[in-house]
Amino acid sequence: MEPILQVNELTGGYSPRRPVLHNISFEVRPGEMVGLIGLNGAGKSTTIKHILGLMKPQAGEVKVDGVTLEEETERYRSAFAYVPETPVLFDELTVEEHLRLTGMAYSVQDNQYEAREDELLKQFQMMPKRKAFASHLSKGMKQKVMIMNALLAEPPLYIIDEPFLGLDPLGIRSLLERLVEVKRKGAAILMSSHILSTVETYCDRFIVMHHGKVVALGTLEDVRQAAGMDMRGGSLEDAFYKLVTGGHVS
Amino acid sequence: MTPDQTLEKLWHRRAKAFREETMPYFRYMGQSGFPAFMSLIIISSAIGYINLIRHTPASFPFATVGVIAMTLVLCWSPLRTWLAAGDTVFLMPREAEMSGYLRLSFRYTTIACTLLAAIVLLLYLPIYNQGPAISGGWALALAAAALKAGNIWGAWKERQMTWPGMRRLMRLLRWTATALSLAVWLNCPVWQAAAFTLLIGILFGLLYRLPGRHRFPWERLIDEEARTRKRYYVFFGLFIDVPTLPSSIAKRPYLSWVLRAVSYSNRNTFVYLYTASLLRTEMGGIIIRLLLLGCLIIYWLADALLLSGYGCILVFGIFMGLIAVQLGGLRHIHRHSVWKHVYPMPEKQRAWQYLRVDRLAMLLCTALLWLFAALPLAFSGVYLPELAAAALALVYIGIRPARLRKKIIMDEDED
Repeated sequence: MEPILQVNELTGGYSPRRPVLHNISFEVRPGEMVGLIGLNGAGKSTTIKHILGLMKPQAGEVKVDGVTLEEETERYRSAFAYVPETPVLFDELTVEEHLRLTGMAYSVQDNQYEAREDELLKQFQMMPKRKAFASHLSKGMKQKVMIMNALLAEPPLYIIDEPFLGLDPLGIRSLLERLVEVKRKGAAILMSSHILSTVETYCDRFIVMHHGKVVALGTLEDVRQAAGMDMRGGSLEDAFYKLVTGGHVS
Repeated sequence: MTPDQTLEKLWHRRAKAFREETMPYFRYMGQSGFPAFMSLIIISSAIGYINLIRHTPASFPFATVGVIAMTLVLCWSPLRTWLAAGDTVFLMPREAEMSGYLRLSFRYTTIACTLLAAIVLLLYLPIYNQGPAISGGWALALAAAALKAGNIWGAWKERQMTWPGMRRLMRLLRWTATALSLAVWLNCPVWQAAAFTLLIGILFGLLYRLPGRHRFPWERLIDEEARTRKRYYVFFGLFIDVPTLPSSIAKRPYLSWVLRAVSYSNRNTFVYLYTASLLRTEMGGIIIRLLLLGCLIIYWLADALLLSGYGCILVFGIFMGLIAVQLGGLRHIHRHSVWKHVYPMPEKQRAWQYLRVDRLAMLLCTALLWLFAALPLAFSGVYLPELAAAALALVYIGIRPARLRKKIIMDEDED
């Protein structure tokens, strides 16, 4: 199966002299959830920015749905939905107006839109807040709006940056349930998170980043092996700890 | 140095920082020709004012003008506190020591407001003396001083109130009571006016005790300070690019039908977004106010057939220009939004959809302003000025999108 996202030997950053990302490569295939993990400053958000097309690679390329952003901008962009680390909402729109805007932007069919909107509002317990303006929502609620917008678009790829920050327990559960569902339907998910136990439970493969490089890539076994652990046991957290500290805290 | 003094030093430091921050913008404003424009307005107003004093018509609404002008300057009681969001963390623990800090704020704003009220009163007194002149100048000055003091105290009590609804209600009551007191001072003998004002004062003294209130309304003051700061920057924004501050949003439910009228379709995505921005941001508020004021003035001038009907057309042109400038700001609103890049839509589509919103808004505003000129003129049998205005307005609306498109391309090159 063709990967929906391909990152090939990507080098990039804010200044050509000091790249943040060094020659990173990975791919995400339809129907899999991939966890992007690393310490603060490891380059996760920069990688995501390159995928979104907000930053230009200094070397290498990013392909979504088989094309680069320059080749076919619309095809590239309509293939994914993005949930940012910090909710970025329009203050002048209410919750349901945000959903409507997303529906328009991603050309969600009129007849499907209302049913999806209703379902999402119920699932994320946002029905009573549907007419509230973004500025009147708590941080967790704003995050829910971001997640609902991404889910409404039903794209083949979801790029989700730290989705659990500020979410209440019910929100986390609804999000994970929905992600499992969209994955079952064939969508791919690239999720960056620090909650390693959740990442371990839900993701099929992992990308471990450290100092702008991919230091481990693959299934839990692959990550353990990269960390020099034996194959019999140890959690993702143990392997991650070994990978980023070399097994000892300096 | 006592803790109070350190806070007072902080107040002075912040006031100085604000002065230094805004000084360059004042310089830009000075270079823009705005002072010349203002001088022109002041000179023409002064000529009008002197003419009015010399030949005041007997039918002049002496008391009404006085009540309106004085109510505005007596009731308006802002408070510069320089407080910012971080202060709930750093200054809140020292709330008990904040009285000295606050006193400086009161002194700073009271002096400016009182000066403004005094100027308006001094300008009004010669007009009033041509008319009924029931109360003497000194009595009116004393009354105005008392009312100003009462309003500053009342405005502070309102800031302390817990519930926004109650705060707004009390503000409305305060403005109404001040207007009533002024009306009594301008129309009735001094002893009656003094007794009335005293009664109102006692009533408000009791009323302000009722609602629940904060000892120190941190959030209210921080919000007020942010708004004031924003107004400065909106003003500077007329002359030069300024740092964008978070814009405040008004729901304006009476206009939400416009947003609902935008049909659900991919080619309306940015039409929807820009329409919402236009209706609900501060810029929309300014345009609505400009529109109302423009309609009113144009109607007056058209009804009076000033300069054979061309007077109102001149004002029509001025208001159309002001609205056009304000509306031009819409393109900056989502300039740095991440969604602009993420949404699967070509960049050209976004610009084109933005221009659709701009053109329709401009057309609607112009049509409304024009109607307020055209109808009274047509009833008086004058047709040429409004037809000429319509033709010029249509030409402008026709060429505006091309000019805006150029500006959008320039903006994108800059980004």
